[in-house]
Amino acid sequence: MTVVPAQQTGGGGGSSGLYDVLELVLDRGLVIDAFVRVSLVGIEILKIDVRVVVASVDTYLRFAEACNRLDLEAGPRKDPGLPDLVGEMTESGARGKSKGALSGAAETISDAFKQARDEGSERQGESRPRARKSTSARRKEEQE
Amino acid sequence: MSTYVYGIAASSHPALPEGMGGVGDPPRPVRILREGELAAVVSEAPEGLRPKRRDLLAHQSVLSEAGAAGSVLPMRFGSVAPDDNSITGVLAERAEHYKERLRALEGRVEYNVKANHVEEAVLHQVMAQSPDIRGLAEANRESGGGSYDDKIRLGEMVAAAVKAREADDATALRGALDSAAEDVSVGPESTGWLANVSYLVDRESAENFLAAVEQARKDMPHLEVRINGPLPPYSFVEPGPAEPAGTVVSGTDTGAG
Repeated sequence: MTVVPAQQTGGGGGSSGLYDVLELVLDRGLVIDAFVRVSLVGIEILKIDVRVVVASVDTYLRFAEACNRLDLEAGPRKDPGLPDLVGEMTESGARGKSKGALSGAAETISDAFKQARDEGSERQGESRPRARKSTSARRKEEQE
Repeated sequence: MSTYVYGIAASSHPALPEGMGGVGDPPRPVRILREGELAAVVSEAPEGLRPKRRDLLAHQSVLSEAGAAGSVLPMRFGSVAPDDNSITGVLAERAEHYKERLRALEGRVEYNVKANHVEEAVLHQVMAQSPDIRGLAEANRESGGGSYDDKIRLGEMVAAAVKAREADDATALRGALDSAAEDVSVGPESTGWLANVSYLVDRESAENFLAAVEQARKDMPHLEVRINGPLPPYSFVEPGPAEPAGTVVSGTDTGAG
C-alpha cells in the first residue's frame, strides 16, 4: 500500500499547513494513563519558538514602524526619494511573499518551523536592519 | 517488546490498515489487536522513538487510513504500552467507555480552523478607528519617527487595539461557523493565531461546513482562515468538560462516565 501523507492530511479542506495538523497529533487525541508517552522535549521547544510573543518591545517597535509606513502609503508626505523609504517598501513586499509561503502547504516540519523562524526575525528586523543582530540575540536569550 | 498504539476501533470496523507502514525507520508494520467488540491499531514501538516528522506523519497516516473506512478513536502521538496484553487488558477494562465514544463519533470527522489577521489590513482598521493612534503616529512621523519611548507608546496602543480586534474577530468567526458543525472544541490560545477551533462535522454534510468557511473568508477578508481536514476526531475523543454554551450537541458530550 502506498501512502502519501501530505495529501491525506490536506483532505478536502484546501491548503494545509503541516504544522497545524501536527499540533493536533501532538496535543490532542486519546491518552491512556496505563501507557507511557515518548518524550516530546524537542518539539515543545520548537513550538515555543514559532509562537512569537506579542506583548514585547520588539512587537511594539514593529507596529510603530508599520503604522508609519501605512500612512506613508496612504498619503505620502515625505519625499519619496528618501532611500530608506524605498528600502522599507521593498522589504514589505518580500515579507508578503514569505507569509504566503508559510501559510501554504509546508513540505516538512523542519521547513515549517524554519520558515516561521525566518519570517519572525525578518519581520522584527525589517525596519531597522542594523538592529537585527541584537534583536535575534535578545530573542535567543528569552528562549533560554 | 513494547507496543505503539495508534487508535482504538470497533472490531467490526470494515478496513483497519493491517500491514500498513507505521512509525519507525524502517516503518514497523501495523497490526490489529482484538478484544471482544474492540480492536486496537498497533505496531512494534521502535527503540528511542522521538517526535520526528516522519513518525508524526506515520501516526497521522495510519489514523487517516483507518478513519476513512469507519470510526476510530485516535491516540495522541507517542503512546507506548509495555506489551500487547496490557493493551487488550485496557480494552476489556474500559470497553463500555470506548464503545460509547465510537458510537458518538461514528461518521464524523474533525476540521481544524485557525485564523490570523492579515497584518496590513488590521493595522489599517486600527488606525482608521482610533483618532488617538492616528494622532500619535502623526506626531511620531513629524518628529522623524519619534523617540524610542514614543515608538514604544504607539506600539503598545496598536498592540492593545489589535488584541481587542483579535477577540472580536474570533467571536465573529465562531458565530459564522459554530452552527454549521455538530460539536466544537476550542484549542489552546497562542499568539500564533487569533482563533484555533476544531469542529466535529458529519462526513455526509461536510460540504455545508466547508461552504460556511468559504463564506466566512469572503465576509472577513482581513482574516487569513486556514482549514485542515477531514481529520480523525483528535479533539473529540474525550467528553468535553467545558463545551461552550450555545453549541447544541446531542450525545457526544454526555453519558460517558
